[in-house]
Amino acid sequence: MLSQSLYSYKSALDREGIIFTFCGPISHDIVEGVGITLKSQLAESDVKQTTAMKVFAVFIEQVQNVINYSQERTDFDSDMGMGIIVVGEYEDKHFIVGGNKIRNSKVPVLEQNLRELVAMDKDELKVFYKQRRKSNTSEDSKGAGIGFIEMARKASEPLEFSFEKIDDDYSFFSIEADI
Amino acid sequence: MTRLQIEKTKSSPEIDFNPKTHIHLIKGESYPENTQQFYDPILDWINSYLAEGYDGDIVFNIELIYFNSSSSKILLDIFDMLDDTKNKKITVNWVHDEDDEAMEEYGEEFEEDIENIKFNITTK
Repeated sequence: MLSQSLYSYKSALDREGIIFTFCGPISHDIVEGVGITLKSQLAESDVKQTTAMKVFAVFIEQVQNVINYSQERTDFDSDMGMGIIVVGEYEDKHFIVGGNKIRNSKVPVLEQNLRELVAMDKDELKVFYKQRRKSNTSEDSKGAGIGFIEMARKASEPLEFSFEKIDDDYSFFSIEADI
Repeated sequence: MTRLQIEKTKSSPEIDFNPKTHIHLIKGESYPENTQQFYDPILDWINSYLAEGYDGDIVFNIELIYFNSSSSKILLDIFDMLDDTKNKKITVNWVHDEDDEAMEEYGEEFEEDIENIKFNITTK
């Protein structure tokens, strides 16, 4: 059935300027494989090297967030997180969007943290980044807990984010960085 | 102390810590699957090495072209360990590509927090 509509699906992605998208279980192999592909693809295009590295860096933070924090997993203690990653280009701007399911109980704190981040200018972000890097990580943070700050520092616009309630337990969280 | 050598992978850097030459290297890219797991043996090695208290020149060459945010935290831990020795004979060389301003800035941000050891930012 899908073979009939796949072209229109692809055309729709092309119209949106989407260079790459992945939806499903995300593993570290995908981080490495797609990361390297994305880097060489950007290197071959006429994108500035500094921009290409920023896109790559934000892509890594986005996919590792999905792996570490998605509440939708193939298995309870799986190393893979289910989610979606979209990388695209629109009017000379690159956008990297990540999305995954999270528990409703996590929404208020995450939303508050992100609201604080988007209100900061680059100097404030630098101070905050260094401060958070020095402090111990929070207990449910598998990474350094500074991935979003890193993304905000690389982005040329404030991060955009949204939470869509799925049911009584889960929401869909998405976050976008534009470079 | 035995030499610590770890080959680079797509997402983890080459490590070559040499207790004979006292010149140590971290080189490549760092965004491993499990950052803590990758760096734990490295942090342990540095701890034991510093505890031996070698009194000659010690050099750490950091030649990274990319590191993710959780690796950044580990790098800070490493620099803090070195800085806490207050050993003026320890030098960190932060080596970046000439046109890589982002890496240069990352180096400067680490340098701001270092008080007791030498921290040089240089190009290849």
